[in-house]
Amino acid sequence: MSDVYVVGADLIKFGRYPDRTPAQLGAEATLLALDDAGLNIGDVGALYAASTFNAASMIAQQILFQIGQTGIPCVNVSNACAAGATAFREAFIAVKSGLYDVVVAVGAEKNPAGMLSAGNSEGPPPEGLFGSGTMPALFAEAGVIHSAKYGTTMEQFAKVSVKNHHHSTMNPKAMYQKETPLDEVMASEMIAWPLTKLMCSVNVDGAAATVLVSARKAKELGLGRAVRVRGSALASDPWESRNGVLMNTNSVTRLAVATAYEMAGVGPEDLNLVELHDCFATAELLHYENLGLCGEGEAGALIDSGDTALGGRIPVNVSGGLLSKGHPIGATGVANIVEIVMHLRGEAGARQVAGARLGLAHVLGFGVGVGAAGVHILEKA
Amino acid sequence: MSASSATSLSPAKRYIRIGEDNQPWITGFRCPDCASVAIDQTMACRQCFSRNAAIEFRASETGRVHTFTEVRRSYPGVAVPFLSVVVDLDDGLCLKGTLCEASLDTVKAGMRVQMIFDDAGGASDAKGNPYVGYHFLPLSGAEQ
Repeated sequence: MSDVYVVGADLIKFGRYPDRTPAQLGAEATLLALDDAGLNIGDVGALYAASTFNAASMIAQQILFQIGQTGIPCVNVSNACAAGATAFREAFIAVKSGLYDVVVAVGAEKNPAGMLSAGNSEGPPPEGLFGSGTMPALFAEAGVIHSAKYGTTMEQFAKVSVKNHHHSTMNPKAMYQKETPLDEVMASEMIAWPLTKLMCSVNVDGAAATVLVSARKAKELGLGRAVRVRGSALASDPWESRNGVLMNTNSVTRLAVATAYEMAGVGPEDLNLVELHDCFATAELLHYENLGLCGEGEAGALIDSGDTALGGRIPVNVSGGLLSKGHPIGATGVANIVEIVMHLRGEAGARQVAGARLGLAHVLGFGVGVGAAGVHILEKA
Repeated sequence: MSASSATSLSPAKRYIRIGEDNQPWITGFRCPDCASVAIDQTMACRQCFSRNAAIEFRASETGRVHTFTEVRRSYPGVAVPFLSVVVDLDDGLCLKGTLCEASLDTVKAGMRVQMIFDDAGGASDAKGNPYVGYHFLPLSGAEQ
């Protein structure tokens, strides 16, 4: 089976595009990634398009309608916030199998407005009567479990937002480029304790795309800027007694990352940077432990240490993360891979992680009582 | 709950059962092979994959708070603030609910709570039948 390389990667600036369709956003990202690779749509053997809210409209074919109807197979992916990683992984498998030399994985989304939920249920509108089903509440509750067990404080969660907003000041494609000091994060509107508004990800439109090729094609194109996919894993939420009621952010991520580390033959100590699913500030601390960046119960100390900021031991979310770069649901999992690729190429500008050779991208998705996690490990070729 | 038969009560959740005496309870399902419990009746056991029919049981109405949050902003029209809790009932079932007569200062992970059946905010189903819901209250003192 062939090694798989990323030779094209780019994204559009995340923001609000009221006058454009999701497919137009995806098409723009695809063209950017193809240009980056020095290829055109006629070179592409298959297209994998993630769009959790738009997959049913055949967004992959809609993208080809915009940039070239070549007749290639199209796969449309909806998998909550893990859709982008799912599309990328399917593209990886397609090249790995030897069936294709060049494929594109793209994620494009126009999120619904307002606060997202994990879906409704039977009976009267349950919100408030039977607790809360909002995403902020679910991730607040996930954070409180960590606080109860290890004494993690609201201030430690808030520091995640301070860090990621700071990182995004160096990312011109992030939704926001604005510092948010700790007192501002702590004092912003309380949404679901301990999560304030500035500790919740930004609901934006966006698109990101990658071009994946076989080893043969990568050598033909030149390996100078190529990035090798060392590990790819996708997990569904494994059985736990509270499943269906409490969405467990941890077990599904741990299952995916263990598989990815094993495939890559590396461990967390080998990583130079991580883009993880900071949909809420609480989640980032949970994932420090889930991904093995620190020991159990040590996530609060890790954010306090500054080691996950740019310049630290293991920078996390130097793109600005979902908290400040933004979270266009289906595009997120491709966008965080694009970020890792930029750093491994040494092309990340002011936020470049010096000497980066190995990076990890993680996403976590929740639907109606069920979930998914995707992890990819990428290496400078 | 009155025993009047003029209107029938409608469970606000699929796992609420209402007896002929109009007394509600929470139903759970226990796998006959691995003993795992769930509020959902699934086609096979999610843990051990057994297809033997799960055993329905009447759930305990006391338990402990596993985690919580105070919701200050929700969907438009939803009254805030309220405490959202995830409760481990004493027989192993897990339920989400609203905790009343408590505040962010008093709610704690691990605290004992009691389930109270209620009228689900006064809502009725499409046929006009009043819903039956539930909320949680703190258990204190000797009740714990």
